[in-house]
Amino acid sequence: MTDPTPAVEIRNLVKDFKTSFRRQMLRAVDDVSIRIMPGEVYGLIGPNGSGKSTTMKALLGLVAPTAGTCAIFGKDSLKVDSRNDVGFLPENPYFYKHLSGAETLRFYGKLCGLRGKLLENRVSELLALVDLESARDRRIGGYSKGMLQRIGLAQALIQEPRLVILDEPTAGVDPIGSRQIRDLIMKLRERGITVFLCSHLLEQVQEVCDHVGIIFRGRMVKEGRLEDLIAIEDQTEIILKDASPELISQITALVGSSAGTSIIRTGKPRTTLERLFLRETTKGDDR
Amino acid sequence: MNTTTAKGSHLGRISVIAMHAFTQLVRMKVFYFLAVFAVIAIASNFFDLPQHEGPESVGINVLRSIKSWSLGTMTLFSVVLSIVATALLLPKDVEDRTLYTILAKPVPRFDYLAGKLLGVILLVFVSLALMDGLMTLVLHIRTGIVLDQQIEMAHNMGWPQEAIDSLKTETMANAPNWSLQGAVFAVFLRASIMASLALLISTFSTSTLFTTIISFLIYFIGHFQADARDAYLQAGAAGEGVCARLASLAISLVLPDFQLFNVIDAVIEGQAFPLFLLAKLTFIGLFYAVFFTMASWFIFAEKEF
Repeated sequence: MTDPTPAVEIRNLVKDFKTSFRRQMLRAVDDVSIRIMPGEVYGLIGPNGSGKSTTMKALLGLVAPTAGTCAIFGKDSLKVDSRNDVGFLPENPYFYKHLSGAETLRFYGKLCGLRGKLLENRVSELLALVDLESARDRRIGGYSKGMLQRIGLAQALIQEPRLVILDEPTAGVDPIGSRQIRDLIMKLRERGITVFLCSHLLEQVQEVCDHVGIIFRGRMVKEGRLEDLIAIEDQTEIILKDASPELISQITALVGSSAGTSIIRTGKPRTTLERLFLRETTKGDDR
Repeated sequence: MNTTTAKGSHLGRISVIAMHAFTQLVRMKVFYFLAVFAVIAIASNFFDLPQHEGPESVGINVLRSIKSWSLGTMTLFSVVLSIVATALLLPKDVEDRTLYTILAKPVPRFDYLAGKLLGVILLVFVSLALMDGLMTLVLHIRTGIVLDQQIEMAHNMGWPQEAIDSLKTETMANAPNWSLQGAVFAVFLRASIMASLALLISTFSTSTLFTTIISFLIYFIGHFQADARDAYLQAGAAGEGVCARLASLAISLVLPDFQLFNVIDAVIEGQAFPLFLLAKLTFIGLFYAVFFTMASWFIFAEKEF
């Protein structure tokens, strides 16, 4: 039986900021409501400055809503105990450079009340998960951008939260690092962890999310299941492998004989530049 | 934007953040200044003016010089360290967004502030303990040398035993003793007050530089707190304006009277540190550290990031 309590419930969130001209208020988030059920992967997309990060900060209690409420598993976001069940990776995080990867995870683990053998096991487990075992004792100051994002994801998971919030998790990361992070998000989904991520990299969101919300100038303009939102209802896609020209001719003739149906396009599907890049660079690793 | 239960104890989280802040500062190589202190403590041995009088003057000045230079250096380092380190830690966490990752954990904002402050205070304490150890060692060795010289000279001059004993007592007043340790503790208390004050300023300041400058300014003004208090108390009779009275009232209420710490100078001169004064300074130190920390929390609890 699934837990009926939403992992995230944002109701009519409004956030105003004072501008440098003190009397004027800037509305960063305008009446946004989001509900994410446990186990879902929700992507909030929108251009820069559309209010994505502010929404996330309000959910984490880092900013106080001007109006509306935010709750995590039914607990008010402004209360500290709501953070027992959440892990957060901010955009472009810089962790303490003087600590090693393992020390960083130990520090965050201790903040969450973990100690002793339990903490050590968790640190090793997470370093393996994010593929940083070889860099566990290296200072964070020497980490690459992709490694920083991965150690950031590991710290977000340290207390085994049921919800993970990721703000632009692949910003500034190369395609290989980006792929690793996407794979990690997939793993989280397999484990039943709720993921709330924001990004303006649409292809990435499309690949990992099952629900999306589009936010523009602080307002939610579209929201729902990804499949429902992007499906073209009156079209059907069939992809064939090793089809002979005769078979294609037969299919084309069959479709032509069916009233009201037409072929819009035939041809070879193309891979993406990213997939091509990953294939070629992986080959390089094998050599 | 805070309160209620989180996993783990407050004390546990505060100690984790304090130890982390301490480690962070240590790895910034702040202990290099101890080498400078060692040079000063040893060099102060040579600041002895030539004496052409009786045995009672031989070497006393050098003992005072060691104490004066050492305690002066301790004051300088501890105040600079407490202000700069505190002013640095908070804005750095905000700038690097590490604060987000900490506050996104079940960490009450008070725990974060208290941990950072205690980390700095721990660093100041360890630094002072190391400097105190070095000063005590240098002073102990030099006192032995001075005593030998005095006794030899007194014997040569044919002083009676009572006079030699009296001379010994006078010299030993400048040797390492509990009053001297009390003076070092007073230096620590003053640095702790300044660290908590810098913490308060950094909660609303926009830069490390601003926090540092304002903290030093307040430290300087704090030495005139007693004058401000007297000005307030006597202002009515003197017929001063309301603004001047309010300013002097604000200074005398908000700032500690740093002139109370002038007892350190008396200890350098070989006088005893009265126990009641030590207790009073401890109370004042604790009071202001708690007062400034609570005020910091009041501001930080409502701060948005």
